[in-house]
Amino acid sequence: MQNDVQQRVKKVIARVLEISEDQIADDANFIFDLGADSMQSMELVAAFEEEFDIEMDEEKALDVQTVSHAVEFISSYLK
Amino acid sequence: MMGLFRGNKINAGEVSMNMDFADRIKNVEALFQPRSIAVLGANNVKGTVPSDIFENLIKTEFRGVLYPVSPGEKRIGSVKAYKYVVDIEDPVDMAVIVFPSSVMHLALEQCGQKGIKSAIVISAGFREVGGKGIEREKQMVGIAEKYGISFIGPNCLGVINTDPDVMLNASFARQMPEEGEIGFLSQSGALCTAVLDYARAKHIGFSKFVSTGNKAQIGEVELLHYLKDDPKTKVVLLYLEEIRDGKGLMDAAREVIAAGKPVLAIKSGRSEEGAQAASSHTGSLAGSDDVCDAAMRQAGIIRCRTIEEMFNRAIAFTYQPLPQGKRVAIVTNAGGPGVLTTDAAVDLGLEIARFEPETTKFLKKKLPATANIKNPIDVIGDARADRYDWAVSSVLEDPNVDGVFVILTPQSMTEIESIAEQICVVAEKHDKPIYTSFMGEADVAAGIDILQKNHIPHYILPESMCDAFSATHAFREQMGSSYKPFEPLEDVDRDAAHLILDKAAADGQTWLPEDQAVEVLKAYGLPLYESEVAATPAEAVRAAEQVGYPVVIKIVSDDIIHKSDVKGVVLDVDSPEAVAEACEAMLERIKKAQPDAMIKGFFVRKMIPKGEEVILGVKRDPTFGPVVMFGFGGIFVELLKDVSFGVTPVDPQTVDRMITGLKASPLFSGLRGREPRDMASVRDCIRRLAQLAADCPQIQELDINPLIVLEDGKGSFAADARIIL
Repeated sequence: MQNDVQQRVKKVIARVLEISEDQIADDANFIFDLGADSMQSMELVAAFEEEFDIEMDEEKALDVQTVSHAVEFISSYLK
Repeated sequence: MMGLFRGNKINAGEVSMNMDFADRIKNVEALFQPRSIAVLGANNVKGTVPSDIFENLIKTEFRGVLYPVSPGEKRIGSVKAYKYVVDIEDPVDMAVIVFPSSVMHLALEQCGQKGIKSAIVISAGFREVGGKGIEREKQMVGIAEKYGISFIGPNCLGVINTDPDVMLNASFARQMPEEGEIGFLSQSGALCTAVLDYARAKHIGFSKFVSTGNKAQIGEVELLHYLKDDPKTKVVLLYLEEIRDGKGLMDAAREVIAAGKPVLAIKSGRSEEGAQAASSHTGSLAGSDDVCDAAMRQAGIIRCRTIEEMFNRAIAFTYQPLPQGKRVAIVTNAGGPGVLTTDAAVDLGLEIARFEPETTKFLKKKLPATANIKNPIDVIGDARADRYDWAVSSVLEDPNVDGVFVILTPQSMTEIESIAEQICVVAEKHDKPIYTSFMGEADVAAGIDILQKNHIPHYILPESMCDAFSATHAFREQMGSSYKPFEPLEDVDRDAAHLILDKAAADGQTWLPEDQAVEVLKAYGLPLYESEVAATPAEAVRAAEQVGYPVVIKIVSDDIIHKSDVKGVVLDVDSPEAVAEACEAMLERIKKAQPDAMIKGFFVRKMIPKGEEVILGVKRDPTFGPVVMFGFGGIFVELLKDVSFGVTPVDPQTVDRMITGLKASPLFSGLRGREPRDMASVRDCIRRLAQLAADCPQIQELDINPLIVLEDGKGSFAADARIIL
């Protein structure tokens, strides 16, 4: 399941940040490595919620800094 | 891609914070004169800080090379962007970091790996927001120390250097200021933008302009050291909200001033919270702002109350030569403003110059019969540029004149612009200062603009003009004197004092009553009359016989800090019967007033003859360390609030200023037939007390109240003392 979540997370990131999936390392930092700005960070949270049909704690979601942390965070909502 | 950071996560707590002052200031030069800059976190979103900073660097034509670093962009404007700073092939002198605080550690870590030694951290979200922000700031300092990086910020507007060879505007200010000779350091970024706007309107230029932000590492102390040697800077202005290193600031300012550059400062936040919590007279009188005021004066810093006052003084320092004396000539085209200026000048201690006969003769010949040829010179309302020229030139050539105030009011025949131009021509020919006040606003605007463009100090109000002259004159006066603190005294017994203080602390005491406090004072040679402690009224009688009549009797109890409040002091007791009676009566009174107080006995001391009562005290200031206080004393000290302060170590000048700075000071030199007091002994007491405060960190607060100052040559003696641990 973790692998499936990871792939879907990367797809969402690629779409929102307009980059190719192979540019997204597992431990890439959204801001520092992928260049997400504050608006895109909000968009990512909304896109993850839509993709996984979940409602995340927005404050905690915006604290998530890396792809691997995002996978972990989203997985906690899917249990 | 991410491998660069694996295993490099840093824990600030594990980092050795051993980057010393010399290391920090070594890299400061690169902050102002970088040959290449990487802007980390740049973007193409117009109207954002990252975009504006990069645009400002481009717009002002920075003379070095720029490298935008942006993980999400291929280019910033038309300049190729790098994904990481470590991807830049060439060496980089300085980094400007605008990444959000959450990834600042990653950005700074990479700067370290790239070998960058200087950085400006613009981003907010650190100590100023508390919580995680504090941790982030600590972490950032840790990384900087690990790599030997010196950085300004975080949470700042940036840095500007107007040197034509550099042209650095690494800030998000709207405009690059004009080139000038003022170095401006401000803790508030927002204030920086307002100051830049204010200065632009008045053609005031800057050499360096720095927003210091949170001062996590580089602060005003390091920057003052840099500006001291900066040939482009003539005057330094500071806007401070907090001072972290008070002694460092004082030392750095002294060095700048010794280099001939005045330091002017505004310190905001005049909080009295610290004073409210104090339990001694000194503690409650020595508010943090009073101490700050004293410290600045002691260091030679010119403290200003407002931005306007600071710039009014700064332009006088920057544009004109320092006056050689305080004799001023006033040239005006209207009587009223001349009188106003005279009043303001005299109030500030300036002298209205008396002209040489040749000057008066020349003025009589050139000016109309209705003109006033004495100081202030009134060239009359219909004066044109020629009359101003004759008057100003002649008084500037007069050896009795140290500076000239030129006043103009816009009357129907006044040629405002040509008079302004003529003043500029005259100023150019002389090496004495000329200050101007073209009074009004709309009609005089064009004239003022000419003066300001030509760097003739202009003031809306004559009072501000006088204040600026007074400040430059005071600076000129103090320039000759250098700070030499007193040599440590050798006839003191530091060990004895420590023994008493340490024992009291070990016994859980929070303060030392008089019987113990006098022992500490004795160890430092502070003058005391003979005294004894007696456990009972009968013993008190024996003690009185021992020290000699008349005596003063005071209650000794750890539970009674203010003895007068419970009538625990009886003065002038002159017989054994009276001593016994006074002791019994005192016990009765205290039994009623404070029944729970544990009475240890009676402190019996020979009465000190009548004299002037002053207070001496010590307080430990969190910013400036041990501070000594001197004031007009007695039980009304808090009501009168006539006190002065000195930060230790004190020097002879500070001690003199502490005494002469009191409103009551004329009383000491023999006012209205009173005998002059022994102020030499007071000076010695202040010096000894300052050393005691510096030597004994156990002392939080100390009061000697009163110290009774006898007639000249007869000394002064501590009549009561209390030490708070």
